[in-house]
Amino acid sequence: MTAAFSPSERLDRPAWIGRVWPWLFLGALLVFFEVWSRLRVDRSFLWNVYNVQAILLAASAPLLLAIGQTFVIIAAGIDLSVGFVMGLAAVTVAQVAVAGGEAAWVLPAAVVITLLVCLIPGWINGVLIARLGVPAFIGTLGMYGVARGAGFLAAGSGMTVSVPHEGLAWLGTGWTPIALTGALLAVMHLVLSTTRFGQYTYAIGGNLQSAVRAGIDVKRHLTAIYLVSAGFAGIGGILYAARYGAGAANAGEPLLLDSIAAVVIGGASLFGGTGTLIGTLIGALIISVIHFGLIFIDVDAFWQFIAVGVVIILSVLIDQYKERLGAGA
Amino acid sequence: MNPSGSTDPILEVKSVSIRFGGVDALKDVSLALARGEVLGLVGDNGAGKSTLIKIISGVYRPHQGEVWFEARRLAPRDPQEVRAHGIETIYQDLALADNLDVGSNIFLGREPIVRRFGWPAIDRGRMRRVAREVLERIDIAIPERKLDRPVQMLSGGQRQAIAIGRAIYWNARLLIMDEPTAALGVPEQRKVMELIRSLKRAGVSIILISHNLHDIFAASDRIAVLRRGEKAGERRTAETDGEEIVHLMVGDEYKQRA
Amino acid sequence: MSAFCRVLLLGALLLAPGAGPAAADADKPVIALLPGVVDPFYFTMRRGAEKAAKEEGVQLLFQIPKTWNTTEQVPILRAFVAKKPDVLLIAPVDKQQLIRPLKEAQGAGIKIITVDTFIDDGKYQDGKGPGDFPLSFVASDNTEGGRIAARALAKAIGGKGTVYCENNKPGISSTDQRVQGFLEEMKAHPDIKVLATQYNEDDANRAASNVSAVLARNPNLAGVFGVNTFSGMGAAEGVKRAGKTGKVKVVVFDAVPGIDKQIKSGLVDIAIAQKPADMGYWGVKYAVGAARGKKIPTERGTGFVVMDKSNIDRPDVRQYIYSN
Repeated sequence: MTAAFSPSERLDRPAWIGRVWPWLFLGALLVFFEVWSRLRVDRSFLWNVYNVQAILLAASAPLLLAIGQTFVIIAAGIDLSVGFVMGLAAVTVAQVAVAGGEAAWVLPAAVVITLLVCLIPGWINGVLIARLGVPAFIGTLGMYGVARGAGFLAAGSGMTVSVPHEGLAWLGTGWTPIALTGALLAVMHLVLSTTRFGQYTYAIGGNLQSAVRAGIDVKRHLTAIYLVSAGFAGIGGILYAARYGAGAANAGEPLLLDSIAAVVIGGASLFGGTGTLIGTLIGALIISVIHFGLIFIDVDAFWQFIAVGVVIILSVLIDQYKERLGAGA
Repeated sequence: MNPSGSTDPILEVKSVSIRFGGVDALKDVSLALARGEVLGLVGDNGAGKSTLIKIISGVYRPHQGEVWFEARRLAPRDPQEVRAHGIETIYQDLALADNLDVGSNIFLGREPIVRRFGWPAIDRGRMRRVAREVLERIDIAIPERKLDRPVQMLSGGQRQAIAIGRAIYWNARLLIMDEPTAALGVPEQRKVMELIRSLKRAGVSIILISHNLHDIFAASDRIAVLRRGEKAGERRTAETDGEEIVHLMVGDEYKQRA
Repeated sequence: MSAFCRVLLLGALLLAPGAGPAAADADKPVIALLPGVVDPFYFTMRRGAEKAAKEEGVQLLFQIPKTWNTTEQVPILRAFVAKKPDVLLIAPVDKQQLIRPLKEAQGAGIKIITVDTFIDDGKYQDGKGPGDFPLSFVASDNTEGGRIAARALAKAIGGKGTVYCENNKPGISSTDQRVQGFLEEMKAHPDIKVLATQYNEDDANRAASNVSAVLARNPNLAGVFGVNTFSGMGAAEGVKRAGKTGKVKVVVFDAVPGIDKQIKSGLVDIAIAQKPADMGYWGVKYAVGAARGKKIPTERGTGFVVMDKSNIDRPDVRQYIYSN
């Protein structure tokens, strides 16, 4: 009976490479920098608490955005608005703190209000994309502009707003932002890999029609995903204000591309259906290690700009290689 | 000619009509399907076969006429309700989630949950066990390590089998299959036809749409022919032949010209 | 060759030419220079710094942010701190947001000198404010620079008319001070009306659009002061697009490459060149002094050169044009 089927033995190798390459690459990078820095500058790269903390800290900002972005990309979407939603959040938390004064409840209220404010662009993205059928790229590009404008308006002519007192600073000092990001990552990883919410995210990204036929409420789910993405941008903005003592409307502007890069380097396909949060974490770490490492071994500034671009291209090539091997029967 | 012995039809389509934009996609179509019977539904492109099964499976609501299933009138709000009654439709594209594994596909949309410390986790162990059982039940062998890989990696016939297996697991009593062998090679086609026969033996009623008249004749008890939205005719399979069916499909003009 | 090996090879090839010098000497001070953004102004500064570094025999580290943004500058700052330089020369991108990261750097034992821009109020070591800890501030006296610009523009428009400032964004010490000085000086010119300042976020195209918009509201606009490099470039372009080159006088801060052509062709009437090379030079000199435990002045102004059609061809003026 089984002989009649003669199943085409699709090679498992490409799947294995796809899953393992980010780890391998990160490991290779660490080894490379460790060896080079010992030889050239006579110092250890990794056996150094400050270095590890600096790398993790630098990775945590784009990683927060990348957490939401991972869900969106797996569901075959993209969220270009995260950078400016983050800026809007930073400005909002600062403005609420300014308006509220010195009372103890002001800062928690500021955090809550900011998160609520961020739900608005998330919800609009969801409506545009899930209910009105606007392509994700265009819908979130529009929100990119709207959030940017809203952020600058909310900041007033100063474009940044100072947080008047130190109460928020603890969130941004030392290991706290790293621990917080790590905890959020762990929780969302569990959501993505063990819950129905995660399963539906993969299903929608893999085959939208099948998800619809299976009775999944795709519209509601997609809206929820964009809300998640905006929510994490909001958390990113709050941590920014905590770290630097002020909310800048352009705080997240450099982070948009890094957030997408982290997801792609981590093994997700921009066409949807694949990807993991652990992969995204490795992707964010790879970018952070490259930036930090190149400075540490005294590499000229311009190689920095090229390095991350090269890694992204490599990841996409490997993704293509995987697809081609998997598709050929 | 009714194997299960019951005389009540499991499905009755009563004078169903539907219009799309001024065109009668279906006009006054009536059908009956007995328990455990395989009904072949044939017709040229645009004859209305897809529209008819979409009405039965709840995607469309007819403008006139009724559908009765198991002696109860069907007026579903959505396809999910129809599935809940026991009618499963396997579309040509199989509606599988290619990036998910066999178990996930079988349970798509209705995943079993196990609570771990209050956290609602999908019970993947159970999904995997059920996947193995279902595959055994329909007698398809898939190597253990492939059970956890995306179904995209399986052959067309294996994927078709999973789609069928999924319908059976959820206790479909009426299975509608739209071109099940269209994209398959010959050995796999034979395998699917065997599956259909074993389903019939298990008492599942089937509506089979196919352009492959050979398959229709091999598997069905009766054949209904649609032409331009109307029922052109109905025959017992044993009492007709390919030429008559084709003539019913294309109409008298052809016969006259010939 | 597996993808993994290809990657390693590629990485090694990429980095081989760029890799830095051997391990630093134990008592040879290491100075790190971290400017604001990719800009010929800061590359000129780097050359001045390198000159001083060679004279003093110290090692100079250099990295440059892609954009003028705290999110870009702080990770580089942290990486520099990991290198444990003796002194950090930095052009902070925001006078408030960089206070905490620089305080952390200082806590790691690194001495801080700011160049071009400052944190907090810019007055260091006077016991006031949270941003008091840097040792020195080496820059143009930007307030004076603003006054010079105002005087130059007033003269160019004949002492009366409507003008405005085209600026990067608020919160940057240098540009804020230039605007302040400009406004102060213009008070002494009762026949000159100053419109509201426009912001372009360091984008020359935005600056050009702003100029068009202001011209549309005020067709009799007599002059524009472009407060920094991109503001100036954009302002000149905006005036050109409106066909008003020569009628609307353009005074720009910073002498970017090509400013000589722009002055000669009349696109720009007056350019006020800073001396970034001097900033870099004196920044390093002070840094070495501080590294060796000497007391250094808390402030040093580096002066300006006013360039216009009358002197742009003189070599002693041309040398102050910035270059990459």
